[in-house]
Amino acid sequence: MKNSTQKDGSERKPLRLGEKCLFYLGAVALLFAMATDTLAVLGRHIGVPLWGSIELVQAGILIASSTAMLSATLAKKHAKVRILVNRLHGGPLLWLQWAQALFSAVFFLALLVGSFWIFLDMRGAYEESELLHIPYTPLRIICILSIFGVMLSFVRRLTESPKQ
Amino acid sequence: MNGSPLIGLTGVLVLLFMLTTGVPLGVSLGLVGICGMTLILGLEPALIKSGVILFETLSRYELGVLPLFFLMAHICFIANASRDFFDATASLIGHRRGGLALASIGGCAGFGTISGSSLATAATIGLVALPEMRKRGYSGALATGSVAAGGTLGQIVPPSGALIVFGIIAEQSIGKLFTAAIVPAITQALLYGMAVILLCHFKPHLAPATSRASWSERRVALIRVIDIGFLVLLVIGGIALGWFSPPEAASVGSVGALLLCAWRRRLNWSSLGHALAETLRTSGMIYVVVVGALIFSVFISLSGMTEQVAQLLGDAGSNRIVSLLVITAVLLLLGSVLDGLALMLLTTPIFLPIVQDMGLSPIWFGVFLVRAMELGFIHPPMGMNLYVIHNIAKDVPLGRIFKGVLPFLAADFAHLLLLILMPATVIWLPTILGQ
Repeated sequence: MKNSTQKDGSERKPLRLGEKCLFYLGAVALLFAMATDTLAVLGRHIGVPLWGSIELVQAGILIASSTAMLSATLAKKHAKVRILVNRLHGGPLLWLQWAQALFSAVFFLALLVGSFWIFLDMRGAYEESELLHIPYTPLRIICILSIFGVMLSFVRRLTESPKQ
Repeated sequence: MNGSPLIGLTGVLVLLFMLTTGVPLGVSLGLVGICGMTLILGLEPALIKSGVILFETLSRYELGVLPLFFLMAHICFIANASRDFFDATASLIGHRRGGLALASIGGCAGFGTISGSSLATAATIGLVALPEMRKRGYSGALATGSVAAGGTLGQIVPPSGALIVFGIIAEQSIGKLFTAAIVPAITQALLYGMAVILLCHFKPHLAPATSRASWSERRVALIRVIDIGFLVLLVIGGIALGWFSPPEAASVGSVGALLLCAWRRRLNWSSLGHALAETLRTSGMIYVVVVGALIFSVFISLSGMTEQVAQLLGDAGSNRIVSLLVITAVLLLLGSVLDGLALMLLTTPIFLPIVQDMGLSPIWFGVFLVRAMELGFIHPPMGMNLYVIHNIAKDVPLGRIFKGVLPFLAADFAHLLLLILMPATVIWLPTILGQ
């Protein structure tokens, strides 16, 4: 696993630990989804269907994808068009990076507000999956926490970029 | 405020500006989408709709196909599949004039069956094939051109990341898209092969004939790809024959790749950890893009822009072929400044309804769009594959790499024309398989 890009040694350790936890959570969820789906295929073909496998895979994939978005953000791996970025240096590039972080923070803030709004609306509705009755509330919380983490990461870049 | 095509057009222009300034793809699409929806519906519905799209996307079973196929690709990479694919093809045809260039294209097609990405295929096969071709006296232009162009096969050969994203955005069956892409992928590889053969026929000095591999060497090279070939056949064949759905195929493929890696004694905790970490990062990046694109497509459909563009094309009195050629020209023009994913996500909500109005299948459009997207990977100023190859073969100037890719670009244009004139090349296989 790659280390965080922070240059400040004192900040590196907790972030590394956070990244590690994030990695284990995402990896376990992904491997769980993979194993469940494979067992479901095997079971279907030998006549022993795995009841509610799709719901289990959905939960695994949601956890994996939530942590994946945060991992991609921490690794600064978001897809972008580099036609202009690759041609800029120094001050203009730093300001452009600052603007990119600002737009990104605003977008994830909007997603966070929207998700939290729905979470509050659905709080008393006891949302759950049909067969295995997996409750949606913890899944929504994981999704919200991941978006909050992504937003926080961009806000942090916002305060760092122009000073670099 | 009601939706108006003008708001849609302004949104597209703002999006293009944001993309050019390097704002992340998903963020640009999503932010423009939310702002546009706010103008049309108001802030509260726009925020709630975005929240709904986020949770629905992350919890969608079909979208699980994405990280699982990435995992399969990363594990196969540990198993050294790229070298095995190239070695097997090279042992069979490498001795012929231009044989190693053909082997590179074959290796790209083979590796494309597990990679799903144009850049990854070009980089991986390039690392193996370029030194071999340079060692055997191949021209720098032909060697680099064949790998850069061959790399684009990774994007269309199923399982393709681009087709998965298109399937999700356009709400089309991913299995059907994979099956539909098989014939176009084969015809594309054949056209590239023809380009190499013609080049070597008219300019034999570009690629000298070399020593023939012995039958025992060939047998060893072929045996090495049997296991991975079986895995690929199981995954793609399983989807085409309806044994399992694409997400199930991705899971079975990942388990198969793990077993294969263990069988080849290349699996350890460190490599597995690396594969998982890379999988999470890559899929996280795509998830953000997909969420942004879905928000953007809701905005475009609310703005009524698509109907306006369709009406404009209709008023121009053009027939289907001319309309498709216009769409192709727009795709190629945008593809020269935007990267493939951005091009697909920007144009799908606008062009897909128009193409459907013309009576064409969305499956055809998906495959056609991915093919058009691929061209952007091999022509400047974007031409990402060219830069990837330049990084591997630093002694070959960028200008020569571009010169080397020109014959393959010509083959690409011929292929696009074939897809427009004969849509059956795409639709035929899913139809006869009853998908």
